[in-house]
Amino acid sequence: MSIAAQPIGSRNRLVGSPHRTVAVLRHIALRGAAFVYLGALVVLPVAAIITKGFGDGFSTFSHAMAVPGAWAAIRLTLVTATIVAAINAVMGTTLAWVIVRYRFPGRRVLSTIVDLPLAIPTLVWGVMILVLYGPNSVLGKAADALGVRVLFTPLAIVLALCTVTLPFVVRNVQPVLLELDEAEEEAAATLGATRRATFRRVVFPAIRSAVIAGTLLTFSRCLGEIGSVILVSGNRTGHTLTAPVFIFSLTSQFRFAEAAAVATFLFAISFVLVLATSRLTKRREVSE
Amino acid sequence: MPRWFTRRIVPLVLAIALPTLAACTASSANTSASGTCTPAAVPTLTFAAYSTPREVYDAKIIPAFKAMWKDKTGVEPQFFESYTGSTTQAQNVVNGSGADVVALSLAPDIQTIADAGLITHDWTQAPDRGMVSSSVVVFDVRPGNPKGITDWNDLAQPGLGILTPDPAQSGGARWNLVSLWGSAMRGDVPGITKNDQAAATKLMNDVVGNVISFDSSARTSIQNFEGGNGDVAITYENEVKTADAAGLPDQAVYPKGSVLIENPVAVVDKNAEAHCVTDLANAFVDFLHTKEAKGYFTDTGYLRSTDPKLAQKGDPANGYPAIKDMFTVDDLGGWDQLDQTLFSDNGIATQAVANAG
Amino acid sequence: MSVAVGTQVAKARRGRRGLIALALVWVALLLLLPLAAIFWTVVRAGFSSVTHTLTQPDVLHAFQLTAIITVITVLVTGVFGVIVAWVLVRQRFHGRSLLNAMVDIPFALSPVTVGLAAVVLFGPGGWFQPFFAARGIQVIYALPAMILVTIFICIPFTIREVVPVLEEIGLDEEDASRTLGASVWHTFFKVTLPNIRWALAYGIALTTARAIGEIGAVLIVSGLIQGKTETATLFIYRAYEERQTAEAYVVALVLAAVSVGLLIVIEVLRHRQEKERTRT
Repeated sequence: MSIAAQPIGSRNRLVGSPHRTVAVLRHIALRGAAFVYLGALVVLPVAAIITKGFGDGFSTFSHAMAVPGAWAAIRLTLVTATIVAAINAVMGTTLAWVIVRYRFPGRRVLSTIVDLPLAIPTLVWGVMILVLYGPNSVLGKAADALGVRVLFTPLAIVLALCTVTLPFVVRNVQPVLLELDEAEEEAAATLGATRRATFRRVVFPAIRSAVIAGTLLTFSRCLGEIGSVILVSGNRTGHTLTAPVFIFSLTSQFRFAEAAAVATFLFAISFVLVLATSRLTKRREVSE
Repeated sequence: MPRWFTRRIVPLVLAIALPTLAACTASSANTSASGTCTPAAVPTLTFAAYSTPREVYDAKIIPAFKAMWKDKTGVEPQFFESYTGSTTQAQNVVNGSGADVVALSLAPDIQTIADAGLITHDWTQAPDRGMVSSSVVVFDVRPGNPKGITDWNDLAQPGLGILTPDPAQSGGARWNLVSLWGSAMRGDVPGITKNDQAAATKLMNDVVGNVISFDSSARTSIQNFEGGNGDVAITYENEVKTADAAGLPDQAVYPKGSVLIENPVAVVDKNAEAHCVTDLANAFVDFLHTKEAKGYFTDTGYLRSTDPKLAQKGDPANGYPAIKDMFTVDDLGGWDQLDQTLFSDNGIATQAVANAG
Repeated sequence: MSVAVGTQVAKARRGRRGLIALALVWVALLLLLPLAAIFWTVVRAGFSSVTHTLTQPDVLHAFQLTAIITVITVLVTGVFGVIVAWVLVRQRFHGRSLLNAMVDIPFALSPVTVGLAAVVLFGPGGWFQPFFAARGIQVIYALPAMILVTIFICIPFTIREVVPVLEEIGLDEEDASRTLGASVWHTFFKVTLPNIRWALAYGIALTTARAIGEIGAVLIVSGLIQGKTETATLFIYRAYEERQTAEAYVVALVLAAVSVGLLIVIEVLRHRQEKERTRT
């Protein structure tokens, strides 16, 4: 579907050579601007963090990572991110399916509401969770009666992360589902395949890479999320202190090397995932 | 250019961008006043404090000082205020947040700023060694004290929910744990003999193990307690006083022993010089040591006395009970030793926090 | 046979209803209930607390600061975003995939880390600290750093929206315009820009939302000075700490309301974009 854009040079042969020089210069200038823009604003900060984290080499890094609570915070963040990514993969696909395939009153509204987490500040989500599950609210009291504490437990972290990452899988899967030909599914059904088998054999292979891309995006967002988490998590080392909040705490203490080491570690994981997501999305577009 | 672009987008962008740029240049004009010293028409003082004394500074002391300064010079100075965890605040100042005067929870945080070369005078030479307010460590409990908490050993009971801030970010948290440690080592805590370091360490681990949330500042911690979380909050006496003043049902329990909490104030002279407000900054700090300012502190529950003996006696008739065993940081060997024993990476408190949960 | 089909249809209908119910419950639990809770809290506190909060100078300043940061971020990421997208799609050169990867970096970096990087670069002992200090320019704990970190975080939005559209529209129209003798700029404004306008607008809407809501990075680089470096989200954070929960809730609700307005804009834009895409 996507037209592979032709390299610019090939078509400029039509134009006279002085124009060609100007065009080439213009292209180089634009390319330069792009590199300077991203180099100064993106690469420089990352370089600063990595340099700070590694300092004189790997020993600085491992020494910095030995700060009490670092590994516990990273583990907690990885565990909650995995749980949230899994929940989001299932629920996000379900939501996309419901929105695309079913007609029911409120469908358009539902489709709009799914984008809410992209619009509302993450800190505001945190404040809202505090209000909603506080001990004086209806839900808080109900949870209390069941013996479940929400605020200041890993449950609050998972809840906050599920909320802010809710659109990621939906928005990845929805367009693919829209383009999917329902005739294939009908054919499978007429041939006697159960609905489950139809889904597994026909639908899922088509949306698989979209689901994975959304899930990876969710995961890497969870590794970095702080706004929605900081007020509701309780920040107990090894229990509810997530890695981003830990980095924030270290930064507040002026312990830049330690903060940068933890940050570098998280960034490494996250960047690989984001690149993978990008690749998956690309491949999908090419294969269409 | 297409019409929709020229007609709609361009005017919209201009309408937003022009006032914005005007505002930017205006705001950068008064922030970048470093280098040569020319006093501004309206002198501006940036004041950075720890998280809890907002009720006294913002509502009482700063307005009173502004009025006083206006009487004296004819100009009302402008104040920019910042309140956050003491240690965080100190780091922000070191990193260049530009505060002219700092009011922090404990002396080592001021020392951090002095060590960075921003405070060049000996700030402890001021009256009361630079301290302007004082308090003690208390337990903020639910109305009627349903858990029957009387001293530190009661906080070690399994299943209790405790709130105290993060000692790495909050000065109040460090005061709390110093008070726990001092009380235990001085034999104030039932069941723990004097100078039994192993028992004191166990108490530290047990109490810290019951903490349900290490918040970034004393205020956030008490906020969470008032939101209904936990059974007890370890906090400043003044926090319970301000909560009561706000009509909240907080109730203070006084353990037998408490450290005398002393809160220092200092002019960050490098910044004040750069901003050309040295006179104003000094005058403000002097004002904090006056009787008038002390009256505001007392009204708001901050000031016992900067004299340890008087502080211990308190003022029982007015809601400041006597403390049976009041000790100072120096009684425990001073901040350097306490930092080493409790708050270094291998310190007893740091380890307890790392193992909690 | 017909009975079997009947039960299967009934089963399908039950499954359908179940899935719809599940989707609605999930969205209600995670998104609508929290919104309702804060709305209800503010309404219960009464209208006077809303007016009281929204007339405080600190609050007004916070909103103004958020607006300034957002507008500058949108302008910078908009203009440069289009340039980067254009270079990525229309040019083939060594290092193109490197440029592509650079665009993704902000998605992978925690906002807190971005703030930390700004402190490392511009704070005391930082790489650029001597340069700016010598010129009397305050970067960290002032507006410049707050804008820089926000731009960093928002960089990918515009680019990632514009790139696919540029790829799809291809070169035909632009070529036609150029062969008819139109200048490069004329071609850009007359042909390219109208084609990508909805994608660009969608990217800008996402950028705006993110810039308004940013907290992790500005929390570190702002220095938290009331009335000076306090954005709307930082005000919420601070007010919540200072027992001014009513104020925190009101400002949170205002931001939520603005965001919902923005969301409706986003939705309309997405719709138009999809319509245009299907047309081409």
